[in-house]
Amino acid sequence: MAVIPTRNHDEPINYGALRALVVDDYPGMRSALKLTLSNFGISRIQLAGSATEAISRIQNNPFDFILCDFNLGEGRDGQQLLEELRHRGLISMDTVFIMVTAESVYEKVVATAELAPDDYMIKPFSAEVLRNRLDGILMRKQAFRKAHRYFLSHELDAAVAACDELIASKPKYLVDALRFKGELLNAMGRFEEAEALYKQVVQMRAIPWARLGLAKALHLLNREEEAQQELQDVLAQAPEMVAAYDLLAEVHLAKKDTAEAQAVLAQGVAISGKTVRRQQKLGEVAHANGDLETARAAYTAAVEKGRHSVFVTPADFGNLCRVQLEQGDVKAVAETLKNNRATLQASPEGQLVTAVVQGAMHTQSGQAGEARKSLDEAARLRAQGVRGEAPLLLNLAETCMAQGRPEEADAIVGEVARNAHDSETLLAKAKQIYLAAGREADGANVLATATADVRKLNNEGVMLAQKGEYRQAADKLLSACREAPFNPRLIMNAVWVSLKCLEREGMDEAMLEEARRRLDEADRQAPGHGRIAGLRLQMKEIEARFGIRKRNPA
Amino acid sequence: MKFNDADLYATLIHELKNNLGLLAMTIDGIPLQGDPAHDGVVDEARLLCQGVVDRLQQALLVYKAVNHQIHPVIDAYSPEDLVRELRDTATSLARGRLRVETAIDPAVPALWFFDRNLVEMALVNAIHNALAYARGVIRIQATVEGGGLVLSVRDDSEGYPEHVLSCVAQDMPYRARGTGLGLQFAKLIAQTHENQGRLGELRLRNEHGAVFSLVLP
Repeated sequence: MAVIPTRNHDEPINYGALRALVVDDYPGMRSALKLTLSNFGISRIQLAGSATEAISRIQNNPFDFILCDFNLGEGRDGQQLLEELRHRGLISMDTVFIMVTAESVYEKVVATAELAPDDYMIKPFSAEVLRNRLDGILMRKQAFRKAHRYFLSHELDAAVAACDELIASKPKYLVDALRFKGELLNAMGRFEEAEALYKQVVQMRAIPWARLGLAKALHLLNREEEAQQELQDVLAQAPEMVAAYDLLAEVHLAKKDTAEAQAVLAQGVAISGKTVRRQQKLGEVAHANGDLETARAAYTAAVEKGRHSVFVTPADFGNLCRVQLEQGDVKAVAETLKNNRATLQASPEGQLVTAVVQGAMHTQSGQAGEARKSLDEAARLRAQGVRGEAPLLLNLAETCMAQGRPEEADAIVGEVARNAHDSETLLAKAKQIYLAAGREADGANVLATATADVRKLNNEGVMLAQKGEYRQAADKLLSACREAPFNPRLIMNAVWVSLKCLEREGMDEAMLEEARRRLDEADRQAPGHGRIAGLRLQMKEIEARFGIRKRNPA
Repeated sequence: MKFNDADLYATLIHELKNNLGLLAMTIDGIPLQGDPAHDGVVDEARLLCQGVVDRLQQALLVYKAVNHQIHPVIDAYSPEDLVRELRDTATSLARGRLRVETAIDPAVPALWFFDRNLVEMALVNAIHNALAYARGVIRIQATVEGGGLVLSVRDDSEGYPEHVLSCVAQDMPYRARGTGLGLQFAKLIAQTHENQGRLGELRLRNEHGAVFSLVLP
């Protein structure tokens, strides 16, 4: 039996250099925790009583360690704070975030977390336990520093290699390294390897995150039945694991079972309705299913729960109003616009949503003059380059048609179709609008022309690339991107041939810069798409080959 | 928010527990003065306060387990880190009154799967008991036995009374020191740990003092 050695730090942890933030809504607890931390030798300690206050402190100063209570009274809770900080890039992977919970909600807090903090503490806890946990996390972060760095600079192969090193040499971090590597493999499109890895972890112990990762890999491999089985088993074991409901909904959507997808999302929302994105998804699926009541409730919740949240965008107000309009509840639409006037007027996108919704509202209540004014406003904003999401634009096109502005409507639908030439849902919706306006033939024509243009350019570009004529292929596809700047498939093809062209024909700074910009757009349009990571990697290689300095990781 | 009566009591206990936790932290902040008349009283207050907090926490979890199923949050943790954490907690609670020793069997793997927060609560409770009854030393140790991780707290007290040992061994209700809630709680936590059909166990025995062990499959 060996006596436990005192901790052997690779690099001693300098508590004096740590900048700490304590977030707790109870002043007595804040000052008690401050005292505890200062006993560790931490001298730079700030306090915040709410999520809003925490965000403003973090915006002004970076912190190395955030100790946050889950329950922060009114407003956002600790988990929402963490999600917002990560989403907005306000804290890095090096920042230690410890969530403090009461024992009564501990399991639920863990199960409903979208993003895990570095650790959970059940209160009350002793200073010694906190000190040990903090030590442990700081050492783990040190061990993972290389893997994190590569991840942040999009060098995912190197990040995987760094994980493999840890797996081989640090038994203590084996499971953590496998967890990170699994996420990387899924993000890189190496789904078979991810499947094998998660099965290895499940073999050790069937812990929910490993089974969830496995289900994700299976879903990405289009093995929906197996994914579904895995997720149902996870939920039997951990019924409050909401991420499993979200993924299960994706599986049902892939199987085109939209009713089941809606049911599963509703279950997730019943367990944790605070997450804006879950409400948005439920609204979207319910709306598509024609369940206007559920869609309205979900969109309302998204907008209300997400007040002051980064996850709510003007499009959410547009979605809510669209459902209210479809219900014929013009009064509610006016109310929504009135109550959120300040938020919507604050951005051009919000102004466009307001104009479009007002146009539709006035059309429905027969005020043609007012409707025309709104349409003029929408046209003015769009001429300035203000963007709206596809469903909003289709809404605008519908109003244009109703107000006798068919050319404007056709142009808008054409734009939507070019940017989503392979989205069945949007094209079907567009067709429906023409059908309702008695312009079925025109609609077919508009859609055919728009999608044919893009399809033609896309196919020609791909053909040229296959023949090895990368320069012409790149020119063709990049000019197609200018016509349809938000079409993810087209962009990814354009980036792919641009990189091929650079590889073959040497550096062309302008082309590289455009490819870089387009790829960022593709990432915004289709976040996490399987091809993006690969394209980023190729881009890195080309940059390295031509000695281009890497951009600083975000 | 709506309460039924039982939830109202739980919320009340919860609030009391948090206030006491704060009181414990405040007492922790009172500096020692080297005067036994002062320091001894402060120490006693700290221990008592911590003890009450732990008791309330256990009561809440037992209450929860009676009304809802407890789903432990299992992940891979280092047993060595856990023993170190417990040693530091015990050392701080003992404040030099008793010696705290640790030992870890070389056969203990780098990682084991368990709910660290729950297991730690059960073991801290055992440490409180040991500190109250030990003569001079308590020992925290990790070993492996029959494919399970065994985490033990031993002391050099007179040991558990016979009726406690036989009740725990025979899985009968028992009244130990206090209300026996601590042991009931430890057993509950052990049993929420399941691996391939094997359940965790609470084992008590006397061997040059009291030995409290959690066996995690």
